[in-house]
Amino acid sequence: MKVTWPHLGHSDIVLKSLFRDLGVDMVIAPPNNKHSLTLGVKHSPEFVCLPFKLTLGNMIEGLELGGDTIIMAAGSGLCRFGYYAKVQERILRDLGYEFDMVTTALFESKIVGVARLVKRLSGGAPLSKVIAAIRLGLAKLSAMDDIERAVHRVRAIEINKGIATKLFQEAINAIDYASDMSGLKKAKMDYIAQLNDVAVDTKIDPLKVGVMGEFYVVLEPFANMDVEIELGKLGVEVKRSLFVSHWTKFSLFLNAFGVTEKEKTHRAAMPYLKRDVGGDGWESVGEVVLHAHSYNGLVHLSPFTCMPEIIAQNIMPSIKADIPVLTLISDEQMGRAGMLTRLEAFVDLLHRRRSASLAGALG
Amino acid sequence: MTKVGIPRALLYYQFYPMWRTFFSHLGADVVVSAPTTKSVITTGSSRVVSETCLPVKVFCGHVRSLVGQCDYVFIPSVCSLEKGSHNCSKFMGLPDVIKAVVPNCPPILDPDIDLAKGKRGFYLALYHLSRPFTWNPLKVKAASEAAWQSHLTYRDLMHNQGLVPLQALAQMGLEPEPDFHEPGPATMTIAVIGHPYVLFDEYINHKLIRRLQGMGVRVVTAEMAGEEDLALSLKKLAGRAYWTFEDEIVGAGGHYLERNVDGIISVVAFGCGPDSLMIDLLQRQARKVPTKAYMSLTIDEHTAEAGLVTRLEAYVDMIRRRKNSV
Repeated sequence: MKVTWPHLGHSDIVLKSLFRDLGVDMVIAPPNNKHSLTLGVKHSPEFVCLPFKLTLGNMIEGLELGGDTIIMAAGSGLCRFGYYAKVQERILRDLGYEFDMVTTALFESKIVGVARLVKRLSGGAPLSKVIAAIRLGLAKLSAMDDIERAVHRVRAIEINKGIATKLFQEAINAIDYASDMSGLKKAKMDYIAQLNDVAVDTKIDPLKVGVMGEFYVVLEPFANMDVEIELGKLGVEVKRSLFVSHWTKFSLFLNAFGVTEKEKTHRAAMPYLKRDVGGDGWESVGEVVLHAHSYNGLVHLSPFTCMPEIIAQNIMPSIKADIPVLTLISDEQMGRAGMLTRLEAFVDLLHRRRSASLAGALG
Repeated sequence: MTKVGIPRALLYYQFYPMWRTFFSHLGADVVVSAPTTKSVITTGSSRVVSETCLPVKVFCGHVRSLVGQCDYVFIPSVCSLEKGSHNCSKFMGLPDVIKAVVPNCPPILDPDIDLAKGKRGFYLALYHLSRPFTWNPLKVKAASEAAWQSHLTYRDLMHNQGLVPLQALAQMGLEPEPDFHEPGPATMTIAVIGHPYVLFDEYINHKLIRRLQGMGVRVVTAEMAGEEDLALSLKKLAGRAYWTFEDEIVGAGGHYLERNVDGIISVVAFGCGPDSLMIDLLQRQARKVPTKAYMSLTIDEHTAEAGLVTRLEAYVDMIRRRKNSV
């Protein structure tokens, strides 16, 4: 058995570590690129959203490289996402591939379900070993996210542009390499220290821009054309509340005890959107209200035809809070130049707004 | 008397008799917006972001036309109608979107219909919904029971007597009789698959069904199949339902692929999230049945009538030739 899976940002590292520890064979599809997108688009229904196309592309590449077991999240996420696996499996079978599709309903089965699944894939490894492997995997996830937060901060004000991004890449490799908790902790400390030592211009007070929207396009840099790196190059500090580690922490563990991380965001959205509309639509509306005073602007990311984000987009203009929102929609037609122009214009606008309001405050 | 407005769009085609009975029993006057026109679509699409699907734009236009005509508009947030399946986000967020985009909108009656969460919540939602009209829970109960009865009658007219929604509504005296062509000497049978709000809003689909009937086609739709048959085909084709209205598309498609029809036409609104995947399942299944000609039509607010007519004519000609050559 050789497992393969579709990508989502840096979360590959987790599955890699998990299966390595348990001695499960795996095939890692190449990271998202033009070719996987083209493959996905070719075999997907025309109007389906971008994450479907990209994940299908990953699956095809994984199967071509010899994978025979696909791991995919499923269950009712209240949007199309929960239906992906069913249709993707049908498409792949029609293409003539032979494989097993292992789906896991993350929202419903929680950590117990995940542990059971991993145990099954590993061919019945002892539970203690499974738990240790999952623990290391999740620790890697949260280490990466901690480092990424530091990267966001440094990237905006570093003197030599590009160092933070390069360090982040190295850090991911080091975390991938770490084989136990102590090695991981050391790697994390090391890179946080290195990031803190990067030469920065302390005189700059960078604009703070929140990045929010649909889960997949926010977390997968290929799907948003590295919007965070580009914002960093423009001297903007990116603020993001969506992290995979944060999400797993709650959806795998804490939600079972009735603790939800998003309550604050939902409460903020209440006057405009009273209910969950699936996906991340409710959160997108809430973030606009919540951060109106703490951030200078927001970049809202959404795949083309995403239902929950269309709802959010329709509601946003009616929000009384005064904060500019730039919506960027991703699909297979996206082009970097167009996005850069829009980002530059947006950042210019934010700069002017800030100086105008500062001038106003000074009288 | 208090007037409650019901937009003639989206779930109107499935639930209007029920809603009307409910509000009349509570002593309210029910006002329905006029059928869709060009200006309804134009006002609707000018209010929402362009990516929004056509049915929601049309809905928005209908609500706009109700402004000033009624004291309340009824826009339920329909989340689920049974355990395990969910509705499209656009149905769930509909009242909130309308509140945000329609200026001077009358107060919205927006009960949360989430039957997956059990009956208690549903009863509370009904009681809450009735509060502007009555405080008496017994009155609400009587109104709900009457509403359910009229819904059963409506469904019976469709599923057991083979009427389309417009004919069934006419039969119940809620709409003028639609002047459908007498499906006289039909030379072929075609199943038209799509959501009722796409198939039975004659303006947005350019009188698709009537045109087909004019060409000597007997048209069958999901409504004319028995409910159990639909559920059975759905189970066979896609397993457990994920979407609330999956039986209308995947179920009906699978059902007619196994019946004596000459072709299947699926009609989808551009940008429809659930349909983008459901129609794909259906299309894949249809490819395995070469004796049934399958055509997929996508409509949006720009659809030119001539293009649609040409495709229908070519399609019907093709089937006719195929039948003659056999």
